[in-house]
Amino acid sequence: MAYVATRGGARAIDQAERLYRAELGQIDATRVDAVRRALPMLIDRVMGEASLYEPDLAALALAQAGGDLYEAVLLLRAWRTTQPRLAIAEPVRQEQLFTHRRISAAFKDIPGGQILGPTLDYAHRLLATDVLQGRPYCPAPVTPAAIAAPAHQPSLAAWQKAQGLVADPARTEVAPDAIPDLTREPLLFPAKRAHTLQSLARADTGGMLTLGYAAMRGYGNAHPTVNELRLAEAEVRVTHPRGTVFSAGRVKVSQAEVTSKGKSGQLSLGFCATLGWNEVKVISGATLDLNAAAAPKGSPVEEEFFLYHTEPVEASGFCIHFKLPHYVTFQSSLDALRGAKTAAAPQSEQVPT
Amino acid sequence: MFDQAKTDDPPLDHGRLLDVLARADAARLMALAETLLSLLGAVEVVQSRTGLVMLPMRDTVQGTDFHLGEVLVAEAHLRATGGEGYGMIVGRDLERAMAMAVVDAAIACLGQTPAISAFLQSEAAAQAAADTECLRAIEATRVDMETF
Repeated sequence: MAYVATRGGARAIDQAERLYRAELGQIDATRVDAVRRALPMLIDRVMGEASLYEPDLAALALAQAGGDLYEAVLLLRAWRTTQPRLAIAEPVRQEQLFTHRRISAAFKDIPGGQILGPTLDYAHRLLATDVLQGRPYCPAPVTPAAIAAPAHQPSLAAWQKAQGLVADPARTEVAPDAIPDLTREPLLFPAKRAHTLQSLARADTGGMLTLGYAAMRGYGNAHPTVNELRLAEAEVRVTHPRGTVFSAGRVKVSQAEVTSKGKSGQLSLGFCATLGWNEVKVISGATLDLNAAAAPKGSPVEEEFFLYHTEPVEASGFCIHFKLPHYVTFQSSLDALRGAKTAAAPQSEQVPT
Repeated sequence: MFDQAKTDDPPLDHGRLLDVLARADAARLMALAETLLSLLGAVEVVQSRTGLVMLPMRDTVQGTDFHLGEVLVAEAHLRATGGEGYGMIVGRDLERAMAMAVVDAAIACLGQTPAISAFLQSEAAAQAAADTECLRAIEATRVDMETF
């Protein structure tokens, strides 16, 4: 490899790490608890990108990384490898989700109705500067409705399929342990749909937004409208040694379908889901899924392009590795430059060394 | 309100009671397990660990099952003279998983005794009440887009 060994710098390296961590100070359970309580959206984002659902560990990773999201995701992905895989749960199905929010921007009247749920969509975004003057911001409590919303909402896509509005491809039943798994096999192209959707579920929110936004602005081939957006909790249904299936608890999930007019006289749909509540990510991901089918080779909405470039650990790791000593490769570049100049000008000018 | 559960309610089936135990209040679950442990005699701990459960999801567009991500769980598996007990809960709390396994083992060995049955009914009622409270707040956000 074109790196040099780093010798004689142990003390400097140790002190550099201390200097970095000095700014973060002592990390204790109180701080981790405060991070978890105060920043649920960030916790969700980190859990989704780490592909590991455990809010306390995500809060710890954020506290330890001082809020550097890529470091936090790396810590969680690394820690995850210390844990055994105990089981594969039963597949989560949309109509079984304990639904908190469910809207459609394409259809006004959807079976089950539109439920805004927890959102700032129609709220003023004002910075509560009074807080800095010692006056706490206390949100008004929700006035609950007299009746409860249904826990489960019907699938809009299933209704559209029944109406003939979207294609209803025949599906093949796959046993849970036969579902392709990116944590155990490489991502190859053309990707299996299960790999594509798993990769999007683990992908970097910012990267997906960038590429999804590019497609929305016109650098894609389909303009999205949100068919259905859902924030929900999914039951983790596992199997008791005696064969009984039960729920070990709930986890937050988000999912989006986006739609555009397809070529076959039907609507086309794109899909994305992730662990945690993260609307920007799933709308962007569904937009990329929608665009991928007819994407030109090398375009940002081509599957290979967006899946390779939105993997957070690989992308951030590759970016920051350029900080590491590259003296040998760079020396080689300098040698080539000198050689070229020597060949071009026999009288040879001096290149600083 | 949760003590209104009646012990003459029909016993919960195994799947339902495991749902209730996995979501039960930690302190109350552990208190019940403490009282049941002495009734089980010698108990062998087969497993007590944290680990990962992969959570698949079904894509609504093509019906493809794919892996959404992994969930950290705590697992406990016990063997008593009269039967086995198993607990798995989302999170890292090994004690909660072990308490669930103790109660499951007690049900396997002793059946749903009045104390266990009262606990299950009371916790099921508490969980239903929490869901209802949550869903009433959600219902308050329902909109009619015609008049929005």
